[in-house]
Amino acid sequence: MSIKKSPIIENLRKIQMIELLSKEKRLDGRSLTDFRPITIKVGVIQKSNGSAEVSIGNTKVVAGVKVETGTPFPDTPNQGLLVVNAEFLPFSSALIEPGPPDEDAIEVSRVVDRGIRESQMIDLNALVIEPGKLVYCVFVDISILNMDGNIFDAAFLSAVSALLTTSFEKKVVKEDGNIAVQICKLPTRCIPISVTSIIIGDSILVDPTEEEESVQDSRLTLTFNDYGYLCAGQKGGSMGMSREQLFKIVDISKAKAEELRIFVKKVIENAQV
Amino acid sequence: MLHGSEIIMVLVRTKVLPGDLLHDSYQGQPPPHTYKLGNKLLSLKVGLVEIEGKEVKLIPLAGPYIPRVNDFVIGKIIDFDAFSWDVDINSIYTAHLPAQDVFGRDFSPQTHSLTSQFKVGDILAAKIISYDRTKDPVLTVRDHGLGKIVNGEPVKLSPSKIPRLIGKKGSMAKIIESKTKTKLIIGQNGVIIVQGPSEGIVLAAKAIRLIEEKAHLPSLTNMINELLTREGG
Amino acid sequence: MGKLIDENGIRLDGRRWDELRPIKIEIGVIKNADGSAYIEFGRNKIIAAVYGPREAHPKHLALPDRAIVRCRYHMAPFSTEERKSPQPSRREIEISLVLRRAMESAIFLEEYPRSIIDVFVEVLQSDGGSRCASITAVSAALADSGISMRDLIVGCAVGKIDGQIVLDLSDHEDKEGEGDMPVAYMPNLDKIVLLQFDGIFSEEEFKKAIDLAILGNKKVYEILKRALIEKYFGTVDEK
Repeated sequence: MSIKKSPIIENLRKIQMIELLSKEKRLDGRSLTDFRPITIKVGVIQKSNGSAEVSIGNTKVVAGVKVETGTPFPDTPNQGLLVVNAEFLPFSSALIEPGPPDEDAIEVSRVVDRGIRESQMIDLNALVIEPGKLVYCVFVDISILNMDGNIFDAAFLSAVSALLTTSFEKKVVKEDGNIAVQICKLPTRCIPISVTSIIIGDSILVDPTEEEESVQDSRLTLTFNDYGYLCAGQKGGSMGMSREQLFKIVDISKAKAEELRIFVKKVIENAQV
Repeated sequence: MLHGSEIIMVLVRTKVLPGDLLHDSYQGQPPPHTYKLGNKLLSLKVGLVEIEGKEVKLIPLAGPYIPRVNDFVIGKIIDFDAFSWDVDINSIYTAHLPAQDVFGRDFSPQTHSLTSQFKVGDILAAKIISYDRTKDPVLTVRDHGLGKIVNGEPVKLSPSKIPRLIGKKGSMAKIIESKTKTKLIIGQNGVIIVQGPSEGIVLAAKAIRLIEEKAHLPSLTNMINELLTREGG
Repeated sequence: MGKLIDENGIRLDGRRWDELRPIKIEIGVIKNADGSAYIEFGRNKIIAAVYGPREAHPKHLALPDRAIVRCRYHMAPFSTEERKSPQPSRREIEISLVLRRAMESAIFLEEYPRSIIDVFVEVLQSDGGSRCASITAVSAALADSGISMRDLIVGCAVGKIDGQIVLDLSDHEDKEGEGDMPVAYMPNLDKIVLLQFDGIFSEEEFKKAIDLAILGNKKVYEILKRALIEKYFGTVDEK
């Protein structure tokens, strides 16, 4: 599915929005750096190895993880595989046109993929059955159910939450040489968190709605690991941003990522009780 | 005769690239091929800029032809329907020549056949009578020197360099015409029809190519003269 | 001492931390196109060509108040170590997207309503930093076509190797290093128009990397300017 863009920006709304923003207010009453209410439900798809449904405001996505076996890439014989794929479902917005994933869906997949991969969240070295021949493949499929802005963070949160609650049947060679099957948790090391902000005029807005995104100048998605290090990033939007704006977004996002991580940890702990 | 003291403004031509600063506090609307950022005036093109006091004039060295009302253009018929011809005028937008312009007010699609006048592939000299950002350009052929061109060789030149081909008061075009024994029909849209003996056409086309390459040089006139004398004999 | 920088601070290909690979830019290499450019950036060999602005086909693609931009970034099957399938990969589709956005921030789209600008990028040989080399070639091709642009765009990556922030990663440094950050920049407007990164950067390292990328981009800008001036005004500086 691909997004049919609505190219006509409502000038009136943009003027209104900029005026509100100059008073550090948003149309929905949030402060510029607030996220909308977030809910995370894990284990929603029983047939998957791990799953999570995430809502940020009206944006809703569901991610499912499947762990299967396959052959490793020739240049990484000692690593399992991670494959991330995202799709906009046709009912997720009036602007969606049926068809194969277009550049927007591909961008979401690749940004989520890089954030998880570069943070080294999954210990891919622990997913080898026979080096060079057989490894575990972790497929993360993200379905976007309803679009109301900030698809990147919703997709990322759902992928991470699903991975944190993934368990799979691991084949273990016993002392007697026989193979036993054991239910294992996916070996994860950290909880990477992505934070997306947009720039409108001189204002920086965290967690933009669809409405806000439609008048954005530029967008930035940053992913942080547990230690507050940046591990992936992607600029969007069709206007430039200054070095100062960029650094300000880094500071804001870093703090937001900390908050979100605590929230995710709590959700996962509760789920496992 | 001139009396008294005279201040001679020296015209300075500077090479500019997109994004170059032309003026740091420019008042009023930005001149063509420039834009304003606050009060700063910046270039949109590769070109030459002439700054004379408050006057800023940017001459681009490349760029598509943007139609202007009253421009004399040379176009090619590419399609037609019952009421008008579509004309390729080497621009972003296809121009239209209404059948009424050719057949008069009593034109009726039942009695007049458009192909009796112009066929697909015909070359026309025409004038733009209307154009704006929302509508395609409309042409007329009802004026002296307009209409179908039946002989000659079409040669293209970057539209931004047409003023160089014409020269001051037509001087450059006259030199080429007299030395190559040809006639140049110069469309402001960057299409030129060269008419005359075939050797002359070849040499005139060469001169036009030289203008394409060296339009930015003040010594262009000398170079053209040299070429025409050397090869024209 | 690490494996990519020796004890004297010299990288495997002989460069220091703040040095670019050799860059060569040639303007107007594809005669049929309205504008074109060829760039060699290290071992990258890339052609960018522009057609348009032209009438949008199909017509429903057109916008009433500005031009639309289409971009295709493509890698030749022989451009990589192992043959690359000619079908566009997800990576190529994503790069097409980020290149297009970078261009949209520079092109004066409002000047060409109802039209389309097609930009084609073909990577004949790839090396590290190919999207940065591509955007530089694209901006050269756009300037060559005479399409109105608010500023030129230049690109150059930074990265982290052996724990150090260095300029312009080679293919090998990209693969073996700890992080890569392509950055494209409009030098006169001082704006970042393309930014992606992966790898681990502390906040301090990130800021240092951005500043180094801007510095490197200013160097690329000088080379791009020289290429355009040479093409349009000849090498001789006539008074």
